Amino acid sequence: MNCKTCQELIHDLVDGSISQRDEFTLNTHLKDCLDCESVRQDLASIVAFCRTQRGQYEAPPNEQALWLRIRNVIEAELPNTVFVNAESRPSFFARLMGRSWELSLPQLVASTVAIVLVVSLATVVGLRRVGGYGSPAASPQQNEASNISNINDRIWQRRQVIDYWNQRVELNKARWSPEMRATFDRNLKTIDDAIATSVDELSRNPHDEISEQMLNESLNDKLTLLKDFSDL
Amino acid sequence: MKTRFFPRRSSSRAGVLAVGAIIAIIAVSFSAAAQQRLSKHYPANQNVRIELRNISGTIVVEAWNKNEIRLSATIESKGTNVTPRQINESFVIDVMSDNRGRGDVGDINFKLQVPVNSSVDLETRRGDIRVADIRSGLVRAHVSSEGDIELTNVSALHVIAQNVIGNIFFDGEFSTGGTYEFKSNKGDITIRIPGDSAFRLVAASPARRIALNDFWNNNFKTQDGRKYVGDVGDGRSSVSVTNFSGQITFMRR
Repeated sequence: MNCKTCQELIHDLVDGSISQRDEFTLNTHLKDCLDCESVRQDLASIVAFCRTQRGQYEAPPNEQALWLRIRNVIEAELPNTVFVNAESRPSFFARLMGRSWELSLPQLVASTVAIVLVVSLATVVGLRRVGGYGSPAASPQQNEASNISNINDRIWQRRQVIDYWNQRVELNKARWSPEMRATFDRNLKTIDDAIATSVDELSRNPHDEISEQMLNESLNDKLTLLKDFSDL
Repeated sequence: MKTRFFPRRSSSRAGVLAVGAIIAIIAVSFSAAAQQRLSKHYPANQNVRIELRNISGTIVVEAWNKNEIRLSATIESKGTNVTPRQINESFVIDVMSDNRGRGDVGDINFKLQVPVNSSVDLETRRGDIRVADIRSGLVRAHVSSEGDIELTNVSALHVIAQNVIGNIFFDGEFSTGGTYEFKSNKGDITIRIPGDSAFRLVAASPARRIALNDFWNNNFKTQDGRKYVGDVGDGRSSVSVTNFSGQITFMRR
């Protein structure tokens, strides 16, 4: 028996569908041929692993060595094979293109589960970022908290600009007359009171359109006041 | 026997009063000497654009039937620059630019007499603004902080009046297709217009102090009295009134 016939029979042996006569001949060959014996052992371990680990994936022990041995056997079978020096590693692209993408059942299941998990996670994160709101089933308390958070975000964004102009005003304030300083402070306080009233109203009723309009206008007024007085 | 015309106590009181009067006269005369007065005439087209940017003080603009501008000003601080410029069709006074880097230069009270059809764009950091008898494309009065705004007998296509603290009074007409914006934070806004005015109104007052009086109709939509939106007549012009804590009142002229 030659190695080619032997390795064809190995599949039947592992499957348990080999005849007694073939099994005897095969065993005789395997005792003499270490390569074919190695192939048998590898194939038997793969099938055994798949049977025991059905439904869940766990990397086989020394997986890389296993695939290497299988590849060596296949290459040994090919005619006119050009043996590549084990020391020189092929490029990434060559390895990518040369790699076999056939997957075992556990690998396939594990890959599918991983893809489903990643896509679900990305969808949930994306929806939250784009929508800015919770799921439709979110409670009113959650929505209210989200709206208040949005209001605070908007105030915080405006506050960055307001802080800038406020610093400019503070730099020049010393040159103003006491009357001008008093006027500025009085007007700033009036606008700040209006902002506080609107924020207070919005915290009680986050969907109040008028309070939202007033808040926006008061923030604009404050910005205008600071800009106008920053030139003095 | 010596005769006294006044008791001694009265005599000392009279002396104190006399010294006080002398000090007051000297103070007033020094103050008057410190004040600068400016009065100039400038030729202008009938539809000239007036731009005035003041820092502090009163601005009065009145229309007259002459194609010229008369500028009168009292300047409180000595050395304050006021340099009017005529650029194309515009007459520009920019106190801020003329005195940049000098900080607060005190009050400057302006009075401008301008052609009836002048467009008027006025700004001040604080102080009252009064405009009368203008018929043009634009009347804008902006007080950055506090000061009353009074627009009397005004008929313009676009009117903007805005302050933070102070009353706003508009007495005039809304032109077809015009826009009118009145905004205050703390002060009353009163709008006095002809009874047959036609406009679309958006009025907001969180303090619920809106009185539309003769201009109210059943087509107005309101949100618990804090905002009124609706048409008066066929809504040919657009009117926006916003007041945070003061009263909004519409009156028939």
